[in-house]
Parts: sequence; structure tokens; C-alpha cells
Amino acid sequence: MKRLAAIVALASIVTATACGTTGTTDSAQQGGGVYTTIDGSKQINASAPINPFNPVGSVFSGYNGMALAWPKNDPTDPNQFYPAIARSWSMSPDRSEVVIHLQPDARWSDGKPVTSEDVRVSIGLAYTQGGTAYALDPKAAGAAADIQVVDPKTIRVTQGANRSSTFLANLLSTVVVPAHVFGKLLPADFWQTLKVAQHGQGAAAEKAKNQITGLAEKVIAFDPGHDVSAGPFVLERVNPGAALLKRNPYFYARQNIAPAKVKILNYTGNEQIWNYLIAGRLDNAPFTSVPTAVMDRIRDARGSKVVKGYSPVAVSLAFNQSHKPYDNVHVRRALAYLIDRAQVTKIASPEGGTPAATTSGIHAKAARAWLGDAFDTLEQYRVDPAKADAELKAAGMTKRGGRWAMPDGSPWKVRIHVPASFSDWVAAGKSISSQLSDHGIDAAVVTAADYTLYLGELADGKYDLGFWLIGLGPSPYNIFQRLFGQANGWQMFGGRLRHVAPGTEGNWMGGPEKVDAGAAGTVDPGDLTSRLNFASQDEQKRIVGVLAKVANEQLPVVQLWDYVNTQFVNTSRYTAFPPDDDESLRLSSGVWMQLGMIRKAEKGQA
Amino acid sequence: MTHAVPGRPRVGAIARKVGGHLVRGLAMIWVVATISFVIIREIPGNPVLGQYESLIQKGMSPEQAERATAVLYGFLPTGNLWEQYVGYMGSLLHLDLGRSLSTPGVEVTTLIGHAARWTVLPVLAGTLLSFLLGVTMGVYAAIKRSGKLGDMLALSGSLLHGVPVYVIGLLLTAIFATLWPIMPSGGPVDVEFVPGFNAGYIGSLVHHAVLPVVTYTLASYGGWILAMKSNVVAVLGDDFILAAELRGLRRGFVFRYLARNAILPLFTILALSIGMLFGGSIFIEQIFNYPGLGLLLVNSISSRDYALMGGTFLVITVGIVVANIAADLLYTVIDPRVRSGGAA
Repeated sequence: MKRLAAIVALASIVTATACGTTGTTDSAQQGGGVYTTIDGSKQINASAPINPFNPVGSVFSGYNGMALAWPKNDPTDPNQFYPAIARSWSMSPDRSEVVIHLQPDARWSDGKPVTSEDVRVSIGLAYTQGGTAYALDPKAAGAAADIQVVDPKTIRVTQGANRSSTFLANLLSTVVVPAHVFGKLLPADFWQTLKVAQHGQGAAAEKAKNQITGLAEKVIAFDPGHDVSAGPFVLERVNPGAALLKRNPYFYARQNIAPAKVKILNYTGNEQIWNYLIAGRLDNAPFTSVPTAVMDRIRDARGSKVVKGYSPVAVSLAFNQSHKPYDNVHVRRALAYLIDRAQVTKIASPEGGTPAATTSGIHAKAARAWLGDAFDTLEQYRVDPAKADAELKAAGMTKRGGRWAMPDGSPWKVRIHVPASFSDWVAAGKSISSQLSDHGIDAAVVTAADYTLYLGELADGKYDLGFWLIGLGPSPYNIFQRLFGQANGWQMFGGRLRHVAPGTEGNWMGGPEKVDAGAAGTVDPGDLTSRLNFASQDEQKRIVGVLAKVANEQLPVVQLWDYVNTQFVNTSRYTAFPPDDDESLRLSSGVWMQLGMIRKAEKGQA
Repeated sequence: MTHAVPGRPRVGAIARKVGGHLVRGLAMIWVVATISFVIIREIPGNPVLGQYESLIQKGMSPEQAERATAVLYGFLPTGNLWEQYVGYMGSLLHLDLGRSLSTPGVEVTTLIGHAARWTVLPVLAGTLLSFLLGVTMGVYAAIKRSGKLGDMLALSGSLLHGVPVYVIGLLLTAIFATLWPIMPSGGPVDVEFVPGFNAGYIGSLVHHAVLPVVTYTLASYGGWILAMKSNVVAVLGDDFILAAELRGLRRGFVFRYLARNAILPLFTILALSIGMLFGGSIFIEQIFNYPGLGLLLVNSISSRDYALMGGTFLVITVGIVVANIAADLLYTVIDPRVRSGGAA
């Protein structure tokens, strides 16, 4: 017992010491204090290397991770960017060439200047990962064909023959790493090998491609040991609970950076973020799904404020048209007339969503910008049980004893599938099933254990109806590829589009290859979507108009609500956060600081 | 002709016993490794698709999400199931658990090593604290079973034994990390302190460990007190206690007789509990964002990280098997009845 008492006493003393010391190191009290936030795009993994090419690496976008430029939250133009490592850029009218001018004062945290060679090496490393502007396939849309260092602060990148409207955006999103740290990962003959891979023929080209992609593993696993950053901060320390970054004295706009340090806290679930916010521990947290009761408690925290803005994501109820009776457009329309989207949104996502004004495949804000007055001519599918009955009758469905049945008299059971871990989707599914049941349709919600399983089974065509994210702007191609892309049978192979049969190769939506688009005649929606990649601004507008009308009439999905980017900020310690609907809202606090936002709060300012 | 010395087992007998345990243990590990290998690969769900959609929902553009997931895709296991199995077993023989899918480029052994240090100390502290507390209180509850103190102690054991660990954890978090925020709600240590043997860092480690350790202690305490009370009550009826009392032995001696005899069965459970350390405590680690093996296992399952799942399962299995063997050997050493039986 004496030993036990001694252990308890010792633990008490150490605990008391800890209570008195946490968060009170000298460094935390100097300069502009410690800014506390979380990274919404990933959880902290202290075992991962300090390497932006590692998907879970300890590099945090906007803090110690820098791109050439930062995308603005524009509803229609994916090529709108804020300067970052690139001070300015210009694109030739035919989109064949982009010239990038770097910040003249940009330096790495070890004092060395940021040069065009750093950008060239970063592009070389990006080729080993593949995708977007750095595809090895010369036929791929928007692939960079040539990289030329013009001078230490200017670089020219030429696009290949298959020119994409998002080339500039993809190029400017390039993450820049120091050549004197990462350059050794590229073999001496890398650029020659790249030329053969992109422009060569036959076996030699294939061998060169394999050599480049074979570098991917080495690039991802590379651990420089310590951070060398061109961003406003540099990683000081990371553990499984948090990452600590200190101010980079060489950052080109260091006068804009108020905090001396940034602490990025880790999280394993939304509840932890809620607790941090309720306790007033976070200066900023990006979008987090929050129930109303929790939101009220967060708002009660001293200095707590909510900032809202546009988020180019919508949620929909998608049909598997390979399954009866969802192959019949009248059934899909009937369900659209029966679902009260306002009620569903109120129950499922009152803080993070607005009911879809109609169902066009596009977020309402972007839809108005793309379609103008034509947006109001789309069928809105307001709740109308009479119209729903007429549609169901047109589909041959029958009503017996107050319950709707299939045309052959067999029972019609609507099964709405959702991943169990998405509480807002589960609530929405239950609301919809309740509304349908009230109208004599046997409906129920079926949950999948997790999102991975859900997506796997959805792709395998196991579900009749399932929740599906759509409207992923600002690129119009990204918006419509969710409706008329791979999940609906259109696949791109070697730069050529082909349509695969419903129920095969991931085509779970099972829509028809060609549809009647009224005045536009019979159209191939997948082909039109693909053309959005290359079309001029005017042609894009025309195509978006046709596809929105097709989506509105054919209803591959019923759009339920448009997401709202709901951010949390706390003005007790820092102020000058971006206002509602600001174009920077979807970027990290580190980028806000670079842009001159985030100042130390005066006493009593909160 | 040799004669066994009572209470002192022969070296040969011990060696045979240890050897038998080792063979059985290795067989058990092989069976578990094989079963977990098959089960893990039969789990439905495409990790690449899940990763892509998750990133998109977080606001990443499709191009960025595609690029990030392409990286993962390159590391998916290839070959048919049999080829994968042969490769897996071959790697195990070299103590190579493979590379993680969810943390590309990092060895599974590295991840497990990092996680183990955050599991072993808090769970070990919780196990030992709950054991000491439960055993001591169990003896008192048995001796005072006719009084109020005994009733209260037994009631505390029953209550805490019945309350799920996550309820205790959530309650403690709500009270001490949110309503009255004197304790941290996540992470193993404040990142502001420089790691090393300094007061700030060690104090922060302890501060962050308090709630997980208290949760574990409270959750396990009920089982120990109830088991100990039951054992003591059984021993109280034995003749040697009556004889000791009739001999006029002091209460302290009687208490020691009681405790030593009643505690023996609990040692096996204690040894197994220590073996279970390697599994961490999943709920506690999730609630407190404590980055131990339990959390690692849960995360590996949700991300379908086959290599990490297999590695973590295997470490837990080895921990339990080793603990089992240790418990059996320990029992041989500390219980004279088993010792003489083994030598007979």
C-alpha cells in the first residue's frame, strides 16, 4: 500500500506539473503567438516523410507546402488563381504555351533562392506520379509537352497537341520543391528519357515510360529528414497528435504573416473537431458537418464565428438504370416530384446545405452563371403528388390497396443505399423513405458498413438507388463527368472515348448512350461532356446548356441539396478572416495569411 | 532411477514444457496469420475508389484526388491469392511485414513500432493500476462483505464492470476536456515541447495519458474486484484459514494468507491482459485520439490497408500467444501444487 501511495503521489505531482506547463513554452509567448487549426484534407501521420509527393506526408498546403498558385473559388472559371511561387503568368491565345514568372524575392527556408530549376525538377517529379498536366501519354488531354527554363525566374511550358481548357489550372497547381533537396531523385538522363516516353515509338517509348513510372515509389518514399520550405512556415516538429510549424524568415511576403507558429491538430472524427471548437481551441476549422445542437454550442464559444461560402459540390440520389423500374424515365420523374428537397435538407444538412433549386447536375450558383435565364426554364420538380401519380401511371405502375406496385403486379420496394458513417446522408435517406412511404411506396434505407464498401458495391451495380456526389466545379468537364462519365459507361482509352454496356466495367448508372435533347436533337451526353475539355468558352456554354437540360429531363440523379462551405473561425486571438463568399474561402489559413489576412486581435476585440 | 525433488521441477521437464509451448505457439501464430490473410483479402470494398471519393468530398478537385489515389493504386497487391500467400509467408519468415498502403513508402514494422510505444505504457499503467486497486479492494470487499463498506465496494465493481469502456471515456472527455477543460482531449503529447528527458515533455506525456489511463483503470477495475472478492470468499472457507485463526495468528498474517491464495488465479488473467496490450484499447484510443495499435488497426481496416492490417493482427496474436506461454510458466513457478504435479 505504501508503494501504491507513492506511485499515486508521484503521478499527482507530475500531472500538476503538466497542467501548469502545457502550451506555455517560451516560443509560444513570443512574436505573433501560435495559430491553431486542423488540416481538413488529411489526418496527420507522424510516420510519413516530409514530402509533398507522399499523400500523407507532413507537408501542409499553404503553410510549408507551396504551389505555383492558389485556385480561386470561382463558380465557372477553373483558371482563376492567386499568385504564390508564381508571381504572374500568361497563356497564348491558342492555349499552346504558358510563361510563368516566379516571385523575385522567393527563398527557401535555408536561404537559397527559389529558381526556375526548382520548378523544372518539381515538374519532373510530378511526371513520375502521372496525371493531369504531367501525363506520359502524348494523346492525353492537357499534357505538358516541353518545359523550358528561360531564365532563373522565368519558365515556359508548352502543351501537347490535345489541348485542354484546364491546362493552365493544372499547371499552376504544381507543388514546388527545392531542387537541391529533391533533385537527386531524378536520374541524370531523366529529361532525355521523358522525351522518348512522350515522343518515341514502340518498345523504346514503352521502356522509357516504365522507367519514369518506376521512379514513383522512390519519390513517394523519399524522406529529406528536415523540412526545407518556400512557404510562410517550416515544419519544426510533428507527432501523432499535432504538427508544429514555425515562421519562415525567408518567405517572400513575410510581412503578411502574423503568427509566430502554427499548430495543426490531428483529428480522428468530427466529434473531436466539435470539441476543439466548443472549447475555443481552434482559430480556424474548415468545413465540418455539424448538427444544429452542436452548432449552437460552437456559436456560444467566446469569439466563435461562422463564415459561409460557395462549395462546388452537391449531393444527389442516383438511379441504377440497369434495374427495373428505374430504367423508365417516368418512374425517375415521379420520385423527383415526391421528394421534398427542402425538408430533406432541413433534416440532413441544415447548416451545410441549401435545397437544390432544381436538378440540373450543377450547383445552383454555378448553374445561374453558366445558364443565365435558361436556368429558370428548367423543370423544378416541386413537390406535386398528382404529377407523380400521372408519371407512375405513364410508366405502367399500378396502385392496389393504397400501395404502388410494378407493372406486372409484383411489389415495388424502393431501397435507398447509404454509407452508415455519413450521418447526414442516412438522415436524408430516412426522410426520403418516409416521404415515399406516405405516398404508398414501400421504401426503406439500407446502410453499408463504410464508405469504401459502399462505393465498391455501388460500382458493382448492387444498388437500385444510392447517394452520389455531383457538381464538382468549377471545370464544366468535372461537373458533368459525374453524370455522363465513367460511372455511366463512358470511358477514355488512349485519347478515344468509348461507351461500355450497362452493368459492365463500372457502368452502374446504366443510362442510354444517346438521348433526345429536344431542340438540340439526339445527343451523346458522354461525348459532349468529353468535348468540354477542349471547347472554347462559348462552346462550353452551349454544351453546358444542353447537358443541364438532358440531366433535368432524363434525371440520371435527383439533385437533393447543394453544399455550403461552412467554416469556423475564432476571433479571440486573431482577426481579419475572409468574409462570407470570399474567393479564398476554400484555401487553408496559410494561404489567407499569404494574401495579407489574419492579424493579431487587439485585447477585447473578440 | 531418478527421483523428483518436491517443489523443484527438473530442467529437462521444464525444457520439454517450454518446447511444447513454443511449438504450439508457432502453430497458433501460423494458423492466425493464414486466417487473417484470407479474411483480409476477402473484405469487400475498393480502397482506391474510397480514397478518391473521400478526397473529393473534402473539396479536392477530381484531378488532385485522382493523382493522390493513383499513388495508392500503384501499391495494391498483385498476383493471385496463392501467390500472395506464398509471398506473405516468405516475408514473415524474414520479419518483413510489407509496406503500408495508407502511408505509402513506409514499412509496416515502422508504423507498428511507432504505434506500440503509445499503446504499451498507458495500457500497461491502466492494467497494473486497475489490478492493484481491484485486488486490494476485492480483499476488503470480501472481508467486510457483511458491512456497508463491503456492499459499497462490491456495488462499485458491479457498476463499473457493466458500463462500457467507451461510455466511461466519453463521460470523462465531456467533463474534463470540454465542460471543465483541464485535460487535453487528444494526442499523446503537446507538440510544443521538445522531445527528450525534460520536465515539460515528460509532464505533457503524463498529462495526456491521465484520461486514457483513468478510463482503462475504471473499465477494468470492476472485473478485478469482483473476481478477487469471489476468490477470497472461497479461500475464507478453507481449513487453513480456520487453523490460522485458531492458532491465534495476527490479522495481518491471516490477510496475507488470504490474499496470496486468492490472487493466484488472477495472475493468469493478468498475464493475458498484458499480452492483450499489443491490441491496445481500440475505443479508448479512438476517443482520446491516442495513436496506439488499436487506432492503427481501426484505421487500417477502414482504409483497407492489407499489409498493415495483417501486420497488426499478427503482432496482437504474437503478444497473446507469448503471454499465454508466460502465464503457464509463471503458474508453474508460483503455485507449488502445479509445480509438484508437473514433476510427478
